[in-house]
Amino acid sequence: MIPEIELRSIHFVRGGYEVLRDLSLVLSPGETLFVMGGAGSGKSVLLKTAAGIALPLEGVVLYKGRNLAEMSAQEEAAFRKASGFGFQDAALWANQSLFDNLALPARLHEPRWGKVEVERAVRRAAELVGYDQDLYARPAELSSGERKLIGLARALVLEPQLVFLDDPTSSLDEASAAKVPDIVEALKSRGCSVMISSAGSDFASRCADSIAVLTGGTLAARGSYAEAAAWDEERVHAVTGRLKARVPKEPSWMGSLEGAWVSAFAEDSTIVDAVPPTKGPQGMSSLGDIINDLTGDDEAEGDEKDGS
Amino acid sequence: MGRAARGAIEEFLYSLGFFVQVLRESVLLFRRRQVGFRVLVMQILFTGIEAMGITAAMALAIGAAINLIGSSLLAEFGQGKLMYTILIVVIARELGPLLTAFIVIARSGTAIATELGGMAVGHELEAYVAVGVNPISFIAAPRFIGVVVSMLVLNVYFNVFGLLGSFVVVQVLRPIAFNEYFRNLFAVLTPGDLLSGFAKSLVFGVIISVSSLYRGFAVERSVTEVPVAGIKAVGSSFMLCIFADVVMTAIQYLG
Repeated sequence: MIPEIELRSIHFVRGGYEVLRDLSLVLSPGETLFVMGGAGSGKSVLLKTAAGIALPLEGVVLYKGRNLAEMSAQEEAAFRKASGFGFQDAALWANQSLFDNLALPARLHEPRWGKVEVERAVRRAAELVGYDQDLYARPAELSSGERKLIGLARALVLEPQLVFLDDPTSSLDEASAAKVPDIVEALKSRGCSVMISSAGSDFASRCADSIAVLTGGTLAARGSYAEAAAWDEERVHAVTGRLKARVPKEPSWMGSLEGAWVSAFAEDSTIVDAVPPTKGPQGMSSLGDIINDLTGDDEAEGDEKDGS
Repeated sequence: MGRAARGAIEEFLYSLGFFVQVLRESVLLFRRRQVGFRVLVMQILFTGIEAMGITAAMALAIGAAINLIGSSLLAEFGQGKLMYTILIVVIARELGPLLTAFIVIARSGTAIATELGGMAVGHELEAYVAVGVNPISFIAAPRFIGVVVSMLVLNVYFNVFGLLGSFVVVQVLRPIAFNEYFRNLFAVLTPGDLLSGFAKSLVFGVIISVSSLYRGFAVERSVTEVPVAGIKAVGSSFMLCIFADVVMTAIQYLG
């Protein structure tokens, strides 16, 4: 399968400082990849490089096998239409109204759309992120959280298949931040490929298919979510230690047999608390241990956890 | 020392490449159905239309001053008729383009550099790239054309008001009919004078817009870079305009 995005041996230098070093990473079609790491680890630069916004000093970025740097104008326009980027600080155009901010991608990539179609797309995107205020206000009139939501809506206005979200929950109030995982889930259900930089473990626990950990501009670890929960190397664990292990959902046929109880179990228990650091040889317990805790197979350990 | 020289050469080549790109996108602007036209209109409004008041005031004062100084000096040598030639040479060839350039640098050069710097810091330029808009074609090209067109128009405007200012002084010192005054002026006006003024304002417009755009785009991350970009845009525009003026005048009179 051709990767949706592939980064090969990326070196990125800014102000004489090497932000990314020999970094290779693949985003598969339909995958939701969380890029995690501490402050200054290069998450945002990685996302911008993958989206073709920042140019690396060395290395190539491939979109469906095509090198972004060698694309023709038409190919690049198709890539931009098919992708959306939500900036960490919203990056709204200050001299344009919110409506125009949201409408520009549509006006640019859908020249045949009339005013009605553009407005429909704009309102749908605003609705998707839960923004129901005046769309003709200027960005300066909004709170930082509202600006962030509009920035997110702009990334989604053309219903892209490839979405980059740079720390989408930062600077959002609790209610707005709670909407973001729902938006990501909606994108996943549409089969979108999503790359998200985030330091939020709860968010990753809910949405991630896979996790990549950046430390000091290099890729320290990359694997499925289940693998990430078991990573025990110190520098990686420092980033992923708060990830919550998931209990696999029961097969659908069980639901039909067990009825409401199974459904309730699946609803309430898809995520369990973080692994206590006292467990396991490196302070980590396996996913099996956690499942045992939940199902009560090992009561002693369960009690110990409750008491801690 | 070697590293500094290499850095300066690299920056010069980079700015040259930037200039070529702006020029190419400006030509293509009229062939594209992008939304850059609105930016172009706004730029002409700000750089050209809104600067007309200060340009007219300055031109009237300069024209009057030249006439006052010239008529007292020339009268001593019995060369009062040379006043018309001096007015044309000084206003149309020299001061018109140069002072108009200074007005545009002070108003629009700083505005363009700081506005773009602010956009760079706020990641607005990256946002344009992300949605598929080329910032050079959408942001730089309309501003480039807007400043050049405004420079050309303001220069003509400055010349007209400069000569009118001189006429006002003439009315006080030695009243003369409006038609006669302008007939005398047009009698000494040559195509070379017009061409010189046009060429200088064109070159100054290019210098101001490219310097300001370049300094604005050079801002990377910090807000503190924004005022520095404005200062550098003004400084380099002044220096390059004066240098270009000397070179063009030398070519005109020595060539």
